[in-house]
Amino acid sequence: MNVPAKKRFGPLLLIAPAALLIGVFLVLPYLNIVLMSFRMPGQGTPYGPGFTFGNYGKFFSDFFYISQVINTLWIGFLTTFICLVLGYPVAWQLARGASAFRAVGYALVLSPLLVGIVIRSYGWTILLGNNGIINRTLTGWGIIDGPLPLMYNALGIIIALVHVFLPFMILPIMSAIQGIDPSLEAAARSLGASKVTSFRRITLPLSLPGIQAGCILVFVLSLSAYVTPSLIGGLRVKTMAVTVVDALIDTFQWPFGSALALMLSVTGAIIVVIFGRLTVMKWKA
Amino acid sequence: MTEVSIEKLTKDYGQGPAVNSISIRIAEGEFISLLGPSGCGKTTTLKMIAGFEDATEGAIRFDGRDVVHVPVEKRDIGMVFQNYALFPHMTVEKNLAFGLEMRKTPKDEIRTRIARVLDMVQLTGYSERYPRQLSGGQQQRVALARALVIEPKILLLDEPLANLDAKLREEMRVFIRDLQRRVGITTVYVTHDQAEAMTMSDRVVVMFGGRIAQIGTPSDIYERPANLEVAEFVGQVNIVRGKVGNRIVSTAFGDIPVSGDHAAGTELMLALRPEAVELLPVSSGADGVPAKVLSSYYSGSLVDYRLELAGGATVSVQTFPRTRFADGDQVLVHAPADRFWPLGSAA
Ligand SMILES: Nc1ncnc2c1ncn2[C@@H]1O[C@H](COP(=O)(O)OP(=O)(O)OP(=O)(O)O)[C@@H](O)[C@H]1O
Ligand SMILES: [Mg+2]
Repeated sequence: MNVPAKKRFGPLLLIAPAALLIGVFLVLPYLNIVLMSFRMPGQGTPYGPGFTFGNYGKFFSDFFYISQVINTLWIGFLTTFICLVLGYPVAWQLARGASAFRAVGYALVLSPLLVGIVIRSYGWTILLGNNGIINRTLTGWGIIDGPLPLMYNALGIIIALVHVFLPFMILPIMSAIQGIDPSLEAAARSLGASKVTSFRRITLPLSLPGIQAGCILVFVLSLSAYVTPSLIGGLRVKTMAVTVVDALIDTFQWPFGSALALMLSVTGAIIVVIFGRLTVMKWKA
Repeated sequence: MTEVSIEKLTKDYGQGPAVNSISIRIAEGEFISLLGPSGCGKTTTLKMIAGFEDATEGAIRFDGRDVVHVPVEKRDIGMVFQNYALFPHMTVEKNLAFGLEMRKTPKDEIRTRIARVLDMVQLTGYSERYPRQLSGGQQQRVALARALVIEPKILLLDEPLANLDAKLREEMRVFIRDLQRRVGITTVYVTHDQAEAMTMSDRVVVMFGGRIAQIGTPSDIYERPANLEVAEFVGQVNIVRGKVGNRIVSTAFGDIPVSGDHAAGTELMLALRPEAVELLPVSSGADGVPAKVLSSYYSGSLVDYRLELAGGATVSVQTFPRTRFADGDQVLVHAPADRFWPLGSAA
């Protein structure tokens, strides 16, 4: 059949702006990174002529880089888990709690986002440092003899990341709980379920989409976080993102830095996909 | 089976009573409707019976036992919500099993009871579906089945048909009523639809502003309403005014005998239902008040007329469309004296 040109291209024209946006801002930069990761290292230039698999070879042959990916993943897992455990009750309170708490609570949850991430991370160095407020207070009270290792290690990074990313866990869970019809909980109660059972069997499973979104957000943000790990981890503990920036800026190895960045992205993506598969909700359309 | 007794029940949310000292005795196996306009306290009353709201004052007894301090999950009620409140993440079978699991019913008994209740609501074969895969009417029946499968002491329904289309609503009325009769469960049904309350209930409780205006059988409520508000709420009504004489009221329809004490000389309001009136052609020479047809609306089985009496008063009349009158026709209006019902003194 002969479809008029207008009819054939109409839908294409409609999606063109969106496609252009995604293409220019998401796909092209990514393709550029992929291309870069196969280039030859340069001498005094970002990259040399020709292409190679050598950058990936370097990654897989040096256990240092692999272990750094693993460390970064661990920090991501723990940050996500702690955010979930701390964030869920807050999200529940925001969605279902007394209205007086809700307005204040919402402001409190959002307030960290109003302060730049650099400032917040510096704030944590003031608190966690060897000469920081926590260690000085504890030593002053005679509870500890020397400073506790709170900074320049994974613990400090996780503490700060949890603080920075907690809102990204709370908000999707809150909106998921708000979307649950309260009469479902009432129905469960009428059928003989206690408040706790009704939460466990109804509210919790129905808030799973929010948990899923929150976990993916926090996990991905933790993996790619740069400012907080570099300030708190210092020179001693480095996450992958920090190493990537080192490679790009300090040692000027753009191709190798790109390969490192891609390896982290790919591992992260695989984990997110597996997580999505594990938490798939059959009851949703 | 359970007898429910509500005594001087009051609920105040803080802005004056939403439910004001109501008392109802519901017999074993009785089907009672709470009927009234929006905001009159029907849902609040039901929530107090269910245990979702604490009563500010008063008692609720199931078989003589005060349950006011018993939490919802221990009251052994079955509840059907307006939006069905089916658990979206559970199949029909899991929805039905939920209440039985809470009661620690053995697995094989759960299976047989679910099969039985699905048969009862005519949904055998739907047990593996999720709620979103069912039509509104089917969801409604699952909600009903879920409330009944636990064999509760009482069944509570809050406007369960409000979200269905007109035809399905009428089918479900009959369906719920038949099911309730078969199971013999004491039932409280909340609705603001008077036709629903009338067709389904053994007795209707009419509420206004948190108070009970009248409790009675559907025919009590319709034919012998306690006051003007009730008369107007449960259907169309003509209010006929007249002067009280010696055991009679003089009206535009002639002298109507009334029983009861009404001070002579005062003005009394009488209720006259539109279908209690007969229209006759003037040529019949029958006994009746002359009137002129102002307008008529034909609705298939019935015709609604607006008429103007000789004195200037207007009346609504509903008849079968056997003899039709046109707008402007002169007719005779015949209203039998025993179809007038006194509502009280006119203000
Ligand atoms: N949680 C509440 N807090 C404060 N006031 C309430 C609350 N619930 C109900 N009310 C008030 O109590 C009164 C009765 O409400 P209720 O829900 O019982 O009415 P209803 O008869 O069920 O009306 P509808 O037909 O609209 O459902 C209303 O004036 C309502 O505003
Ligand atoms: Mg209501």
